[in-house]
Amino acid sequence: MERVKTGIPGLDEMLSGGFYPGSVNLVEGAPGTGKSTLGMQFIYNGIVKFGEPGLLITFEEFPEQYYRDAENFGWDFRRLEKEGMLKVIMTSPEILKLDLERVSGMVEQAVLEKGFKRIVIDSITHLERLASDTVELRNLEYSFVNALKRLELTAILTRESPVLLGGEMGTYPLSYMVDSYILLRYVEIDSRIHKAILVLKFRGSDHAKDIRRLEITSKGIEVLERFEGREGLMSGTPRRMAESFVEAFIRK
Amino acid sequence: MEEERFLESIDPELAEFIKAKINSFTRWDILKLLYSNPHTVDTAERIARQCGRPVESVIRELEGMVRDGLLEMHLVAGIPVYSLSKNPSARQLIEKFLEACRNRQVRVRVVYHILKSREVSFGEG
Repeated sequence: MERVKTGIPGLDEMLSGGFYPGSVNLVEGAPGTGKSTLGMQFIYNGIVKFGEPGLLITFEEFPEQYYRDAENFGWDFRRLEKEGMLKVIMTSPEILKLDLERVSGMVEQAVLEKGFKRIVIDSITHLERLASDTVELRNLEYSFVNALKRLELTAILTRESPVLLGGEMGTYPLSYMVDSYILLRYVEIDSRIHKAILVLKFRGSDHAKDIRRLEITSKGIEVLERFEGREGLMSGTPRRMAESFVEAFIRK
Repeated sequence: MEEERFLESIDPELAEFIKAKINSFTRWDILKLLYSNPHTVDTAERIARQCGRPVESVIRELEGMVRDGLLEMHLVAGIPVYSLSKNPSARQLIEKFLEACRNRQVRVRVVYHILKSREVSFGEG
């Protein structure tokens, strides 16, 4: 089946080629783990590598911030906006939700007029604050995800993780509804903080099950090799695997 | 008269725009915010927060700016949301104004104009 490539080195391989077209994908992580960069890179690569115009919707960060951050990676978002390939929209979560529900809303019009194929919503955490209980949250997110699917946009929703290192992985309604669920985490190894990426879920597709290193370079995100010889990575403070286990199963 | 002389050295089209449309600091802030973030579509309350100005004064200015053709107002499920005007000539003037404001001399003149127009309105009130 056709895939929507992220163009991020190493990530498409983890996703067995990329996301499904028209799918909704969740990227969750603590501040600074690279959620927004991953989203921007998905949009940028979509435009320049695959000719797919993109929308970036922000609820709190000013678009100016994205233009500046993108420029640091050599991505000229202002030029892409002028060329009609990109739109960075700042709005309120409640307005976006209402807009997606109505006929011919601003997003629907933009999709119809400009042919946007990709969308990043940074971050969905703000939308979750609209709900007062889990039932309401589930209904709200269900309707939101379906509205995106109706528009046939391949979406990345970023979600803020409340913990910096480790912590319990919650079960949010959204994680059941999305097509894929990617976790970004900090991992402490030898008194140094590393970034890790894991594809926790990918509905209807095979995907990498290992936890890999992620680096934010001057060119954006790169997914590197898996962490070797450690266990308990998702706790944030992994332990070395028992030497005998390493001897028996890893070292030749 | 004094104020008109003060704006004399500025491009006439721009001076006219400043005289007619830029009569408060809040209005200036809103234009700056929406020009720098051109696809913003938001409620008055959120725009007020983004500018760091009181909601009441922002609502008043937003309504005036819609009347002046600088902004557009749409209702989303009955909630008014504001965005920068799509009218190319309005956008061009806004761009010209904000670009000109990079120059300190122009900024000083605009500040003076706003303060004078406030004096007039306080006097009238």
